[in-house]
Amino acid sequence: MSYKPDESVLMAYLYDELNADEKLKVEEYLHSNPAAMKELEQLKDLRKMMTVVEDKEVIAPPIVMEDSRPRFFWNDPFAKTIVGIAASLLLLMVTGKLLDLNVNYSNRELRLSFGAPVEIKTQVPMNASLSAEEVQRMINESMQQNNQIVQANWSESQKKLDESISKNLALNSAKINNLVQQASNASQNQIRDYVASLQNQNQQMVKDYFQLTTSEQQKYIESLLVDFSKYLQQQRNNDLEAIQTRLVSVEQNTTVFKQETEQILASIISNGTVENKNNRNY
Amino acid sequence: MMHSDTLITRAKQGDKNAQGKLVQLWYKRIYNFSYKFFLDHDLAMEAAQKTFISMCRNIESLQDSTRFKSWLYKIAVNYCREEARKTKNTRWVPFEAVVNIEAEESPRWEGSSVRNDNPEKQFQQAELSDILQKSLMELSAEQREVVIMKEFEGLKFREIAEVLNISENTVKSRMYYGLDGLKKILERKNITKETISYEL
Repeated sequence: MSYKPDESVLMAYLYDELNADEKLKVEEYLHSNPAAMKELEQLKDLRKMMTVVEDKEVIAPPIVMEDSRPRFFWNDPFAKTIVGIAASLLLLMVTGKLLDLNVNYSNRELRLSFGAPVEIKTQVPMNASLSAEEVQRMINESMQQNNQIVQANWSESQKKLDESISKNLALNSAKINNLVQQASNASQNQIRDYVASLQNQNQQMVKDYFQLTTSEQQKYIESLLVDFSKYLQQQRNNDLEAIQTRLVSVEQNTTVFKQETEQILASIISNGTVENKNNRNY
Repeated sequence: MMHSDTLITRAKQGDKNAQGKLVQLWYKRIYNFSYKFFLDHDLAMEAAQKTFISMCRNIESLQDSTRFKSWLYKIAVNYCREEARKTKNTRWVPFEAVVNIEAEESPRWEGSSVRNDNPEKQFQQAELSDILQKSLMELSAEQREVVIMKEFEGLKFREIAEVLNISENTVKSRMYYGLDGLKKILERKNITKETISYEL
């Protein structure tokens, strides 16, 4: 009994994936090995327990697939780019051909030209065997000639300039004199007119002022006279009232005096009569 | 199986209807595989949709029609791994997990498919199913994908080896350690045959 199934054989036995011979061998082993049998039973129980796990119900959603038609190479983005570049190049070449474009690179210069190339003629010096002194001399001569010509031109133009300046000055002074004359004439007349108009205005203003002041003075004197007469009237009234009151008071005094006099007289009279009587009695 | 070879042949020839039919036939399987892998509806939908878009695009390059199933699962596994990589550094909680009013207000068995069954048993089984799936998430991704493909998707070890491009023995070994790990996780949560026998 040296046979002992490993875990993979036990698993195959548990899931009934062993052939008949191996199955028999494992069963014999299990019968003689209760511990292994127990372990296997526990695994069987576990499997039985797991049968309670049910599948979840689910509805398959629509699977959206992109168009799976065969893609031709010209539908490929890369191919499209390549074809685009090729078409652009072809267009450039055709345009160049139609415009007769020439591209030339020579002597370290790039030339782009349209139409037939034009040859540029370069003048080659005929007499290339001149010495430095001769060249210097030729330069000096030509410089001298040039200087003379420039000098002549300069003096001539100077002269012309002087002439034109003097002419312009004479012309301008004459014009200015003329203008000043005109201006002075014009200003005399203008001043005369101005003074005349000023005088008229002043006359008018003085006339108006006097008219205005006389009428105002008249009004003022009239009002003054009226006021004065009113004052006099008032004064007179006041005096009359004063006189009347004095008269009344005098009259009252007179009346009182009269009464007193009468009383005195009466008393005197009465006293005289009594004395007379007394005298008689004596 | 779920489809005839002619359907795959027609799909390979670019028949849109045949491709659509394949999507209808396999969507639930691939979705459930992805769901158990992520335990998240949105990620599972994302992975499943990507899988079927890829299937429709590349089915013409499938050489052997008999290997369609493992080929499809291979695509699904790749997308699941890709999604897992993407979401590895982003911690997020699905909105339903934060506010699940419906779950708070209505009993679990209302959402189950078999309504005329015993409601209490339905509820307990749903609870156990939750615990099992959460325990599955505690396994490593390598073990988890093998366990799901074998236990829930019913693939042969040979097919799983083909999907994962590894040897059959490695698959079996991962399966063994996966089941063993799951058993230990459940024991830790006090879920054994004895404790839940009344539920099964």
